[in-house]
Amino acid sequence: MNKILLAILILAALPLWAADPDPASILKAVDANLTFSSSYSVTRMVINGRRSSRTVESVNYAQGEDKFFTEYTAPPRDKGTKMLKLGDKLWIYDPGTDRSVQISGNMLKQSVMGSDLSYEDFMEASKLQDDYSASLEGSASYDGRDCWVLLLTAKKTGLAYSSARIQVDKARNVILHEQLFAKSGKLLKTIRFGNVKKVGGRWYPHFVNFKDELKSGKGTEYYVDEIRFDLSIPAATFTKAMLKK
Amino acid sequence: MIFKLALRNIIGNGWRSLINIGIIAAVLISLIWMEAMWYSWLVLAKTQQKQWEFASGMLRSKNYDPYDTFSWEKSYAPIPAEVLPHVESGDIVPILYAPSVIYPGGRQLSAMVKGIPAGQKVLELPSSGLAPSEDGPIPALIGKNMARTTKLGIGDVFTLRVKDSAGAFNAVDLQITDVMDSPVPSLDIGTVWVDLSALREARLLTDVATVLVLKEKSLQSVSAPQYELITEKEFFADLNEMVMTKAVGQSVLFLLMIFLAMLAIFDTQALAIFKRRKEIGMLSALGMTKGQITRMFTLEGALYMVFAAIASLVLGFPLFWYFATKGFALPGGVDFGVVGFDRPLKFVYPLPLILLTLVLMFILTAFVSWLPVRKIAALKTVDALKGGTNA
Repeated sequence: MNKILLAILILAALPLWAADPDPASILKAVDANLTFSSSYSVTRMVINGRRSSRTVESVNYAQGEDKFFTEYTAPPRDKGTKMLKLGDKLWIYDPGTDRSVQISGNMLKQSVMGSDLSYEDFMEASKLQDDYSASLEGSASYDGRDCWVLLLTAKKTGLAYSSARIQVDKARNVILHEQLFAKSGKLLKTIRFGNVKKVGGRWYPHFVNFKDELKSGKGTEYYVDEIRFDLSIPAATFTKAMLKK
Repeated sequence: MIFKLALRNIIGNGWRSLINIGIIAAVLISLIWMEAMWYSWLVLAKTQQKQWEFASGMLRSKNYDPYDTFSWEKSYAPIPAEVLPHVESGDIVPILYAPSVIYPGGRQLSAMVKGIPAGQKVLELPSSGLAPSEDGPIPALIGKNMARTTKLGIGDVFTLRVKDSAGAFNAVDLQITDVMDSPVPSLDIGTVWVDLSALREARLLTDVATVLVLKEKSLQSVSAPQYELITEKEFFADLNEMVMTKAVGQSVLFLLMIFLAMLAIFDTQALAIFKRRKEIGMLSALGMTKGQITRMFTLEGALYMVFAAIASLVLGFPLFWYFATKGFALPGGVDFGVVGFDRPLKFVYPLPLILLTLVLMFILTAFVSWLPVRKIAALKTVDALKGGTNA
């Protein structure tokens, strides 16, 4: 009798287990949302300091995972500053000195324009499914949305963060909350995504809050005012010659 | 006889002689003081750096370039098998450098974290308190300067973020167990010290180091192909150059002072020939040759230097003694961030250098004394006795 009861309970629970998707497929869907051949965006970065905040505006061009070009348009102090990423190399152009400097080594640890983002964070661009193996921890509600909670563990060396926990909007396959951990398990950064809108057939967050958890403060807010995907960008945009133009 | 006459003339000149001797003595006291200061600084700086940083030599990883920040992340090299027994016996101290970010009080600061064996006895760095405990934050040591910059004190806990050997971030909590008063600023400024094993664990490294500090000179010959030997000459090259540059800069002032002192001698001699023409004629009439008279006047000038040397030692003694015992402190507690100036600098007097200075000054004074009196050779005895001016 007991065995029959156990069998019924197991059979009843099966549909619930079957409802849990493969974590790898969730990552794949998230990557698909974030993968594009090229993009153009106009963004604002609000850097919250100890005493005051400042807003840095920029126009950005990206091609694939390896090419990225940004030109800061405001405030006047930063206007004309440009940043070019080609593969694992990063250059900054300062209009004040009319010189471009390659950022590498210890300099990559420094924050970008005093924000909670380091240059190293800018260098991270590969697909989640290539870098991490995922395990499903369960479901949770975040910002009123039903989410999957995934624990990501680095499956190759050389990644800045050895593990991460993400909450993925079940319906839209967009990460809404991300925690990045050190090797020791200490929480280093929390990234919150919001204002998710459909652009060109994909869901894309138009607000991001980066918070360095080891630092005090409110973190850095990132607003996407305009974004377009899969458009044609001249190859010359991603050359060092563009820095001085 | 020439000496006696010269001596009598100096005494007879009275106040004029005293002023000349006083001027030269003042210049000599200043010269000796300055020479002693540079020499003492150099000696103290080298002694302190040897005690705290260099010991009897250093092997530096070829991957580490102190002037290239890009090299610091991977600045280590494996410790060769031949060196490991010396490390275990404590005769070689391995130190591992790692560029890192620290978060004191919620602020973000770049720092160089250095791992040193807690039990090392080669360097005076107070590392004994760095031995890690089973659980809890990793003990850390900082210098006074770093404590001031980071506003950290004994007992404070903060987070250190460092990259492991594969490039992944690691973050660990550190607790300040000691704030050291290091005389070597490079061990203090921007530096956090932890136990070597704790840093290696955080970076997932084993048996690697950035530098190997040698207890004995004989260890300089140990085979470590991935390391380069830094000799005492190379290690102190920058310090020597800095002292030399500053000493040369300072010497301009002293050249000016010496010039003024020599001008006083020259003036006195020129005036003496003008005023003592009858005496020159008399001496000549009594049978002294022009050469003897010239020598007498030159000796007179040179004797000023001898008296000045004696006066400088007598008059300068209280000053020299004060700086030797109490030391010279930078005014207002100014800290140049340079080794050797963290506390009052007690003077050591370099005798050979001082003697050389006195000899050079004597030769210079003799030459300056001779310059105006060489005209005596052209003076006619009769004209001189008349007090003529054709000389």
